[in-house]
Amino acid sequence: MKSLEKQKRIFIVVSLVVPMALLVGFVVFPAVDLIRMSFTDWDGYSASWNWIKLDNYISMFRNENLWLSLKNNAVYFFGHLIFIPVELMFAVLLTSKLRAAKFYKTMVFMPYIINGVAIAYAFSYFFSPVNGAFNAVLSVLHLDFLIRNWLSDEKIVNEVLTFVSLWRFSGYHVILFMAALQSLPQDVQEAAQVDGATTWQLFKYIQIPAIMLMVDFVLFDNIRGALQVFDIPFVMTSGGPGYASSTFTLYTIDTAFKYSNFGLASTMAVAIMVMIVVIYVVQNKIIHGVVLRRDKE
Amino acid sequence: MKKHVLALGLCAAMAAGSLAGCSSDKAPASGDTAASAEDSAKDTASGAGSGDEGAAAEELEGSLVFAIWDNNLMDYIDENDMVGKFQEKYPNAEIEVEKIKDDSEYWNAMKMRTSANQLPDVMFNKPFTLSRFKDYLLDLSDLDAAKNNELAAGYAIDGKILGVPMTAGYEYVFYWKDMFEEAGVEVPTTWEDFKTVAQTLQDYYGKDNPDFMAVALGAKDEWPDYPYMEFMPALQGGNGQNWNDMAKTDAPFAEGTDIQKAYQKVYDLFSMDVFGKDPLGMGNDQVTSLFAQKQAAILALGDWGLQNIQNGTDDYSQLGTFYLPVRDSESDPFRVIVQGDSFMGVTTHSKNPELAKAFVEWFYSEDWYPGYINYVTSASSMTSFPKEKDPILAESDAQQPDMELVMYDGGGDDFQAIQNEIAFDYKKLGAQMFTDGFDLTTELNALNEKWAAARAKLGIQ
Repeated sequence: MKSLEKQKRIFIVVSLVVPMALLVGFVVFPAVDLIRMSFTDWDGYSASWNWIKLDNYISMFRNENLWLSLKNNAVYFFGHLIFIPVELMFAVLLTSKLRAAKFYKTMVFMPYIINGVAIAYAFSYFFSPVNGAFNAVLSVLHLDFLIRNWLSDEKIVNEVLTFVSLWRFSGYHVILFMAALQSLPQDVQEAAQVDGATTWQLFKYIQIPAIMLMVDFVLFDNIRGALQVFDIPFVMTSGGPGYASSTFTLYTIDTAFKYSNFGLASTMAVAIMVMIVVIYVVQNKIIHGVVLRRDKE
Repeated sequence: MKKHVLALGLCAAMAAGSLAGCSSDKAPASGDTAASAEDSAKDTASGAGSGDEGAAAEELEGSLVFAIWDNNLMDYIDENDMVGKFQEKYPNAEIEVEKIKDDSEYWNAMKMRTSANQLPDVMFNKPFTLSRFKDYLLDLSDLDAAKNNELAAGYAIDGKILGVPMTAGYEYVFYWKDMFEEAGVEVPTTWEDFKTVAQTLQDYYGKDNPDFMAVALGAKDEWPDYPYMEFMPALQGGNGQNWNDMAKTDAPFAEGTDIQKAYQKVYDLFSMDVFGKDPLGMGNDQVTSLFAQKQAAILALGDWGLQNIQNGTDDYSQLGTFYLPVRDSESDPFRVIVQGDSFMGVTTHSKNPELAKAFVEWFYSEDWYPGYINYVTSASSMTSFPKEKDPILAESDAQQPDMELVMYDGGGDDFQAIQNEIAFDYKKLGAQMFTDGFDLTTELNALNEKWAAARAKLGIQ
């Protein structure tokens, strides 16, 4: 019996210590080191570096191109945010008794499992001004007047890239919503239907409140994803023309690797961490404190 | 709520961890490693080339990591069993060839590995990265490979040859002779000629084909404008040290400087309607493929571009080349850029520096180099193994027998420090020239201001 108790304790200690050690080693320590680096002028490969106090932070706030890049991130953020209700609708539709639902589920999720760089590469051909499939489709539909320079017009390039991002990531959100919806107890929904609840009432008063935790996660994932988007603009436009489609992460990576300024890049990475937390807290306040409270009232 | 925020912070930290993971607290130790590897190399240097060569080869043992990015080299290594051939001479040596996707990714990987003291034993450099990695490369001046290389000494830093160029790189303008003939234009020999030819071709072929590009340029990728943005300032004044000289002045972009004149020419060209309907919408792969299909008449690329063009078409009998004519008039000298490319070097992180040096020596010996250099379209950099140029590339030389070669330097420490400080990216600047509202004078004035501030901040004289 004592042996069993001992084994139990060992198991508990190991179960706690190993994940904690991994967390400290691979998350907490790098994060602390990142903050330390943000106060240095390290170039990424030299043996020495200097403490430069807040110079990197001052330089970051004065960098116009960086903030232009952040503005571009906002296009991804709002694009995905607006699309979340649509994703929810798809999830509800696919969870209901729909013919060939499995096929649709596969199709919806497929873009997410395809390599992101391959998708970006394929779409850069899709939107190509010469022999591009999208322009060809518009021509076939006699919509030539809609043809634009999709990847080089500064006015629309971010929206085009956001479309690609939506195409790729929406399926992931739909699957998450579906998983949450499928975990709802059927008897509650059936009882509501017996009481005469409409589909909309079922959706608004039972399904949405029940999957709010998942909605929270998707909203957080949206902020994180929008601020860290990299592969799509990197492959499709290299952040151009100029910095018109650059993103915060793309600019950070360029700062680190192209301009060998790891200190400043670390400062930008710290800024992303702070922004993700701040935006999430604000968004949460708005959704839970204003929108949902109003609905309850 | 506090717990919630803390949890969020950890999540965000995890997301940012990837960048921090690239760093190392142990960076200062690299200097020690460098010193010990250098000492080790010196200690064993006498072994190479002295005594019984066969016995010395057998004595050398260990493993090497050889990192490359070049697809052609990778193919040739695979097809010709490089490792096996090297082991015939050095039976106790192991070589791991590490292929990295492209040169941009290569530099990123090398920077990260530098900080982790994990550079490969043998690495390649470009002229513009030699200065960056100079503290991590061994002096190869004693090797026959360096002595027999016509370009290596020209790129020595502080008297040390830190890399042996694998090829001599020339830049060409590829064109379709039959298209030139049909449009009634000839190979241009001055910059004004070049612009006129481009416009004539565009007018001639563009009237029936709205997708036609007189000059193909994949500006979406930004880097393909390098023949114009990177090399033209050096060609303008015949000064291969142009970048380094710019670092010595506060206003290098001022009116009348080489770079201002060159960029004004580029801007004039890029402002013409000769690049098709949307040069910023296409990358280099796309335009090279379109050029190969004669949807474009002119394409400026390095000698390496020939293989890519030939891969895109079955009939390249009408393919020709000429050098980019940057000069203003026929009476000016016709200048052509030449640069060492793919500088093979031995790193200070190598645990077997002597074996690595032996590998470099072997690579440039008759056992390997002649086969390789004949496999690729690039020119030989070795005086001991001269190579006839591909007939298509040789046409350029025939057209300009009196050309003046300008040996290009990618820029030293001071230039790169300023470049990094102000995020000066000439390739991006070139792509921006295609955008509406771009004003070159404003851009160059802004660059002058930033340049002067950076020099003051960095204390560069």
